[in-house]
Amino acid sequence: MAEEPTDADEFDLPAPVRGGSVVLRERFLVNGDKPLPELDSPNAKAYMAEDRHDLSRNLFALVCTPGIPLRTKAIRQFKANPGPGLLELVEFESLFWPAIGQRTMVIIYERPMGGRVIEQVKANHTRITEYDIPRKVIQPIIDGLRHIHSLNLAHRAVRPDNIFFSDEDMQEIILGDCVTAPEGFDQPLMYEPLERALANPAGRGTGSIVDDMYALGASIVVLALGANPIERMKGEDLLFRRTNLGSYAAVCGNARIPLSLLEPLRGLLSDDPHDRWGLDEATNWLNGLKQTPKQKKPAKKGDTPFRFGGRDHTNVRTLAHAFNRQIPEAVRILKDETFHAWMKRSLSEGPLSETLKGFVDTANFHKDDFQGTDEYLIARCCAAMDPYGPIRYKGVSVYLDGFGPMLAMEVIRNGNVQVLTEIINREVYQFWAGDRANFLDSMEVTQMFAQLKAWLANNEPGYGLERCLYELNPGLSCQSPFIIEDGIIEIDQLLPALDRAANHSDSQAKPMDRHVAAFIAARFNEDIHPHLRALAASKESTNIIGMLSLLAFLQWKLKAEPVFGLTSWIGGLLGPAINAYHSRTTRRDLEKEIPKLVRRGSLPDMFDLIDDADKRREDQDGYADAVEEYRSCADEISDIEGSGNELQEKAEKTGQRTAATISIITTMIAVTIMFFSEIL
Amino acid sequence: MRMIVWGLLILMLLLIVALPTVMLVGFGMMPGLVAMIIDRTEERSATFCVGGLNFCGVFPYLMELWFGDHDLGQAMALLTDVFVLAVMYGGACMGWMLYLSLPPVIASFIQVMSERRLQQLRKTQRDILQEWGDEVITDADLGGDGLMPPEHGAASGMPAAAE
Repeated sequence: MAEEPTDADEFDLPAPVRGGSVVLRERFLVNGDKPLPELDSPNAKAYMAEDRHDLSRNLFALVCTPGIPLRTKAIRQFKANPGPGLLELVEFESLFWPAIGQRTMVIIYERPMGGRVIEQVKANHTRITEYDIPRKVIQPIIDGLRHIHSLNLAHRAVRPDNIFFSDEDMQEIILGDCVTAPEGFDQPLMYEPLERALANPAGRGTGSIVDDMYALGASIVVLALGANPIERMKGEDLLFRRTNLGSYAAVCGNARIPLSLLEPLRGLLSDDPHDRWGLDEATNWLNGLKQTPKQKKPAKKGDTPFRFGGRDHTNVRTLAHAFNRQIPEAVRILKDETFHAWMKRSLSEGPLSETLKGFVDTANFHKDDFQGTDEYLIARCCAAMDPYGPIRYKGVSVYLDGFGPMLAMEVIRNGNVQVLTEIINREVYQFWAGDRANFLDSMEVTQMFAQLKAWLANNEPGYGLERCLYELNPGLSCQSPFIIEDGIIEIDQLLPALDRAANHSDSQAKPMDRHVAAFIAARFNEDIHPHLRALAASKESTNIIGMLSLLAFLQWKLKAEPVFGLTSWIGGLLGPAINAYHSRTTRRDLEKEIPKLVRRGSLPDMFDLIDDADKRREDQDGYADAVEEYRSCADEISDIEGSGNELQEKAEKTGQRTAATISIITTMIAVTIMFFSEIL
Repeated sequence: MRMIVWGLLILMLLLIVALPTVMLVGFGMMPGLVAMIIDRTEERSATFCVGGLNFCGVFPYLMELWFGDHDLGQAMALLTDVFVLAVMYGGACMGWMLYLSLPPVIASFIQVMSERRLQQLRKTQRDILQEWGDEVITDADLGGDGLMPPEHGAASGMPAAAE
């Protein structure tokens, strides 16, 4: 018997250790007691789900792993635009998942009733012949990819274990989930185009339909053979083999590929993105149109191998990959004439050799700054040696369009963020983008990274590394310790999350930490610069008012519900802001008013109370008058008290003057009376 | 110098024209003259005080001389009359007494008034500090040394929010 469902918003109770159910959007019941491991994604667990309005629907839910950046744009697009050949995304919501005791994204999909294609094939529940492949496999996947392409997205998770039968009869094939992890993150090396496979998993980049077409080709090989021909080959060995032989030869190897599939596989598994088959070529092939056979360009190989890092290299691309792993050794090699002689004689790469020598000379010239470092030199050389490869710097390999997820992963895992910030700050991307101008909008990249650099250079709240993190990862939840367990991705979820955090957070801590500020700056489409400026002020009162004003602005603009906990939390922090008023009477009045506003849960009202312009002006004027009055009192006191016997002397002089005056007046009166009495 | 010449000239003229008056005034106003000589202050309060009442004592006899026989004999008779001298010098004496006794009285009065004013001013300052806080002292650019009202305690200066 399943537990009673928990409403999405009622989760302040202690979470049960496992199981539990939740209701999504008051309609979809997700049963935590009924896992569906056969539908799991690498970064999301599958559970039974049902539509309370239509119990006949077959649904399942994917509960995402907290902390992994999601493809929120794709989630919204897939929900709004369901298409053929794709798992139908029915609904999504970030809600509390009892089994992990924290909030996370839950996505409801139509359940593929036939299970995973590759598993059904391996279990001999069905059979896919070479004749079935075009219509039964390629056609629906092409339809799905075409639909995704029309949405300006890429699937980036096409692989055999992510292809499902949508029906119990195992006749219709659809592509599985692709939104629960960054693009290409879960893809085994075999299903990533060579240039992207060379990057770290999180840094493989958004990619495009070109990358999906490669993954389709690799998937067809496995589905056609019923098994992965290179299953045992892993990691570096596979990359080395693919680089040397080309992906087609490396993947297909000696496997008995059906003749009818040779043509599409050659096209799809091409290592040159420009030569690779796209949707049109695949559709033409499906329609029976013969394609002009593309001559497979063999990888440029040297006559003699060059030994480096324990391997014999016959091309510069594998060397570039190896150089990034062993930088000091690579620098030694670069400065060695033997290496350049090998490049010229064996590879006929004279111009490249000269370019690399030029880089070494430049590094020698800039010995005292970062451009003279070994890491920078190797990054430049790798970019020149592998024009289609990722940015390689200090052992990290990342595509520019995968920079965001890579940064997110490193921050979440407390990894090497320093290297990524150096790529921005030292503008390592610049020469990389310049070298790839033929297939990359270098202007756009330069502008984006210049913006990132400006944010990084600014250490104020709302900027810095955190701003880069949220700007580059729209699907990343807010990493503030106060609300990290709430998995907040959308800005309108922030205030309710902070409201809940008020119940268990240190009341002396400020709810607006660097993560919250950067999250708001990145996700809130309003001009909040004045608020951020106030937030960055060193003066505590201004800082507090900046925090209150920003949160109040958020509540007002988003028309958010009252936030009683958060108002109470902030109310307790307003001491410095209240003390910014000089008048003690005003302060007492404000302190009396705050509990009333807490009961209303309104941050805008609280802000109006604290930062009333008229009240503030009145206070300033009153204070100025008070200072003036105090000064005049002090001056008068000083005059009265004088110094030493001054007052006594003053009093005596005044007495003497008075005596003289009395004497003169008396005389004048007496003389006048005597004179007139004599003459009258 | 010029003043002295003119003074002597006028005195000579008065000696010729009104010798009895000059004699009476000269001898009668002797204490006033002495007060003028010894009073070195700028305001000449003692001179005015003593001289004024001295003249008050001399004037009735001056009138007697002017409206009676204005001759040397009458002048001499007046100057040799002890009662007359007592009246003239008594006036001067009253002047001195007034000059010496009034300043302490006035000073005491002023002192009391000042104390009262000081209390009022300090109370005003205390009220200001209670309402506006100690920062007023800093902003008034007074340094706060000794100008803080003595009754003003630490508790009353505590910001309201912190209390």
